[in-house]
Amino acid sequence: MIGRIPWWTVVVVGVIATIWVIPVLGIVITSIRPPSEVALGWWRIDNVSFTLSAWIRVWSEYPLAQAFWFTGMLAAIATLGTMLFAPVAAYAFHFLKFRFRRVLLIIIINAFVLPQQVVVIPLFILWRDLKLIDNIAAVLIPYIGLSFAWSIFLVKNFLEDFPKELIEAAKIDGCGPISTLRHVVLPNATSPIYAVGVLQFLWTWNALLLPMLYLRSMQPLPVLLTKVAGTYESNWDLRSVAAIVTTIVPLIVFVVFQRQFAAGSQTRTGAKE
Amino acid sequence: MANVVLSNVSKSYGNLEVIEGLNLAIKDGSFTVFVGPSGCGKSTLLRMIAGLEPITKGTLEIDGKPMNEADPIERGVAMVFQNYALYPHMSVEQNIGFSLRMAGLSKEDIAARVAVAAQTLQIEPLLKRKPGQLSGGQRQRVAIGRAIVRDPEVFLFDEPLSNLDAELRVSMRVEIAKLHNTLGSTMIYVTHDQTEAMTLADKIVVMRAGKIEQAGTPEELYDNPDNLFVAGFIGSPRMNFLRGAFGGGRLRLETGAEWAGAVPDGAVLVGVRPEHFVEPGHGAADVSVKVDVVENLGGTRFVYGTLGSGESVVVEARERGGIRAGDQISFGIKPERAMLFSPSGTRLRNL
Repeated sequence: MIGRIPWWTVVVVGVIATIWVIPVLGIVITSIRPPSEVALGWWRIDNVSFTLSAWIRVWSEYPLAQAFWFTGMLAAIATLGTMLFAPVAAYAFHFLKFRFRRVLLIIIINAFVLPQQVVVIPLFILWRDLKLIDNIAAVLIPYIGLSFAWSIFLVKNFLEDFPKELIEAAKIDGCGPISTLRHVVLPNATSPIYAVGVLQFLWTWNALLLPMLYLRSMQPLPVLLTKVAGTYESNWDLRSVAAIVTTIVPLIVFVVFQRQFAAGSQTRTGAKE
Repeated sequence: MANVVLSNVSKSYGNLEVIEGLNLAIKDGSFTVFVGPSGCGKSTLLRMIAGLEPITKGTLEIDGKPMNEADPIERGVAMVFQNYALYPHMSVEQNIGFSLRMAGLSKEDIAARVAVAAQTLQIEPLLKRKPGQLSGGQRQRVAIGRAIVRDPEVFLFDEPLSNLDAELRVSMRVEIAKLHNTLGSTMIYVTHDQTEAMTLADKIVVMRAGKIEQAGTPEELYDNPDNLFVAGFIGSPRMNFLRGAFGGGRLRLETGAEWAGAVPDGAVLVGVRPEHFVEPGHGAADVSVKVDVVENLGGTRFVYGTLGSGESVVVEARERGGIRAGDQISFGIKPERAMLFSPSGTRLRNL
């Protein structure tokens, strides 16, 4: 270890972590106590009893399991789509020469500044005319399309440092553009591809606006979550369970794949550095 | 194996012309070295032959066929890069066999040819390793293995030894020379190191600012350079250039010595290689040198000194021991080993 961490760092980090953990703790506790006990706050301890009734009831009262699988499917397709297209596009923009390359790239990257709220209405009209409302394509296309701005940018940034000699060596070895991508660029660009995948998964799993507007019969978790609150009952316990179920997957994904964010460029040409 | 012929080849980036109207014929089976200072266009020229840089003007022929637009693979070239450019995710075996895999050879064929290449370069024990687990010299061998496995018409080397340490560089140099003898293929080699050029080449092409200054065998360039640049570039330590002037049929050095000669009157530069100075009295004239530093290499010694005119000189004093810094000693110059150059740098030959 190089030097010791100063004591105040531990204190500051500890305080911040506690502040972060308290709401999560609150949700967990709310989900396992009867609503009457926590009506004035989950921290009240005048009357303490635990029950799993909310955990049991929510599955039958709301289509939570179905929504869970549906969300998973949407997020998986959208994530795979982005993980496939972003590196391909970034490679083309970075290493290949074609007409309007720069203009095209600027247009795509500029979608960064375009808030989702701006596109929902024109898209709605388009999907309605194409009779795509309530079709999963209505959300998958914008999921993947809107991700291009940041995902292509992210992968292309990684490719800036990609050794040009490897591309040239591949060319000498008889690779065309596609086999260069497949055999040389993709195997050495796993960290940005995973990073794009994780970010896209989190974003699509938590998406609320697009599925709420474009889907009818099947609904993903964030949309369902808004419906768990009944008209006459606030259903705090059921909402807590649904919230935990909704959060748990992104949390696991993040914990498992967080190394991909830390991992830097693993590409070495074999030269001494 | 193949001839490589460049006719009127030019390369420009926008308005900037880095190579202009270059003509060169490289014989089948020869070892040709492009040498020159950085930025002289030697690497660009190599990359144009490789097919990595488009040729702006002129034609490139390999084996009699025009190859301006051809892919590297159609040209039949293989290239060894300065920083090896090994694929980091593949084992040594896969690295070497990659081009064969791309060419669609069967697994057995690839394995057999990789084994032969590995044997040639003595890297069989390394085949299962990744490039990251190899030393610089081993990586260099793998990079060469990747080139020889394809049995190419033309080998291209882009400063392949410049990332190695001095000792390894010498041994790899010998190995490349041996490899050329065994394979007998056409090899084109780029370096800025004149020692590498002198030791490896059948033919050296000295380049400066996108033009060929002189092309010829190492002996030709050493004994008979066309101009000041080539004379100064070839040979180590470099040739001494002493200021002088002609007048009345005699050549007079600024530092004092003079002898008879026959070129037009006017200023000249007299080029004398360090190894061509002789004992005082044995040449046509003597110069007196104040010794600054003596580099004793065991077999020989180099004397770095200053002439009376203030010019620095390097003299090889193989037979004279006991020279110390601060000594004032004399060396003789033989006119037949001295080369005359005009102040603009062209060689004056009719001495």
